[in-house]
Amino acid sequence: MTALEAVSVYLPPARTPIESLAGPLGLTEMQVKLFRRFHGLREVCRDPGLSLYDLLMKAAVGLDALRGHEDRVRYVLYARTMPVVGPYPANPLHDVCHALGLGHALAFTITHQSCASGLLAIDMAGRLLAADALPATATGDGQDNQQGPLALILAGEKAFTREAQVFADTTVFGEGAAACLVSALGPRDRMLAYASNVRGEFDSVTGENDARLQREYRPSLADVMRRALDEAGLTLGDIRVVLPHNVNVVTWQRMCTLLKFPVDRVVLDNIPSTGHVFCADVFANYKTACERGLLQPGDRYLAAAVGAGGGATFAAMVFEH
Amino acid sequence: MTAQETGLDHEFRQRVVDAMTTVLARLLDRSEPVTEDMRLMEELGLSSTLGLELLLELEDQLEILIDVELLDADQMKTVGDMATFVAAHCQSA
Repeated sequence: MTALEAVSVYLPPARTPIESLAGPLGLTEMQVKLFRRFHGLREVCRDPGLSLYDLLMKAAVGLDALRGHEDRVRYVLYARTMPVVGPYPANPLHDVCHALGLGHALAFTITHQSCASGLLAIDMAGRLLAADALPATATGDGQDNQQGPLALILAGEKAFTREAQVFADTTVFGEGAAACLVSALGPRDRMLAYASNVRGEFDSVTGENDARLQREYRPSLADVMRRALDEAGLTLGDIRVVLPHNVNVVTWQRMCTLLKFPVDRVVLDNIPSTGHVFCADVFANYKTACERGLLQPGDRYLAAAVGAGGGATFAAMVFEH
Repeated sequence: MTAQETGLDHEFRQRVVDAMTTVLARLLDRSEPVTEDMRLMEELGLSSTLGLELLLELEDQLEILIDVELLDADQMKTVGDMATFVAAHCQSA
């Protein structure tokens, strides 16, 4: 069963207040007030002195569980919101792999589900490892996993352009990165279920269905959350916490009204101080939940994300801690 | 549900309605008057983003803070529904 072996997150300490982005991004005073008052977005992480390579490396070197086990890593999956992050022939992913001693691993990027690509990467990593698993280890109970194959997931981006810094009247992106080791058979945190719904008709390039996306956003996300719970044989009542994508606070307040789930059990702590850190949100919020003692062994939790841009993807994943 | 039924301050609710109809007409660039019985989404085409802008303008104009976290957008069918919610779920700024 797909399992998260270890998670590391790096968020640059440098913060930029939303107000100071108004000029460069062409935001109106009303948009800034909306972001602050209702969306709960106050500042975002930005560090012009750090490259994308620097961000990814800082997250990866924080992964103590990787040290000494580099040879076990078969796959490196870079979960990304934006399709392009650097000029040809720069390839920060391969540079990071070489620096970490992972040049032997098959490294590739997952990008077409925008901010939902992080959950897809976890599912895909688990599937790839399971497909590779030898019969002798396929029935493993955790002990066999000590030497089993691993996948490394990387997430996080630089907010280079206006499109990578702000999304409509919805969110402001912040810089940061996450690294996560995945195994096929590990004892914790086990993935119990994954559900996603790709809606190609919600393409922000044409904008034809933007109003419909606004109307269907929350019901569609609620639908995949319930589907993931059904697949896991659970209900929302079994869920200790929800790890959200950090799109904004009001969306999750309204999601909680729709789901009849207590908003204080959604990890919204990071939204005011980091903004929406692309595909790294789920990992950052996982770390926050652990640091706050919100997850005890055996607790079930639900991660959810929406990727919007070239179509929209609604995704949810259930784990057991 | 009427203001009387909920025990609301009817005079304050009317101020909310007056402010809402004025702001909505401007936000939606609408020359015809907006009335209390109009449906926000189906009739006026109010998006969730414009809905938040409306609430923000109401807060500024009426010098109140609205408990947005309690707002169930699906229950806000008409201008009057939202006015009742605002009047019942706000405090002085």
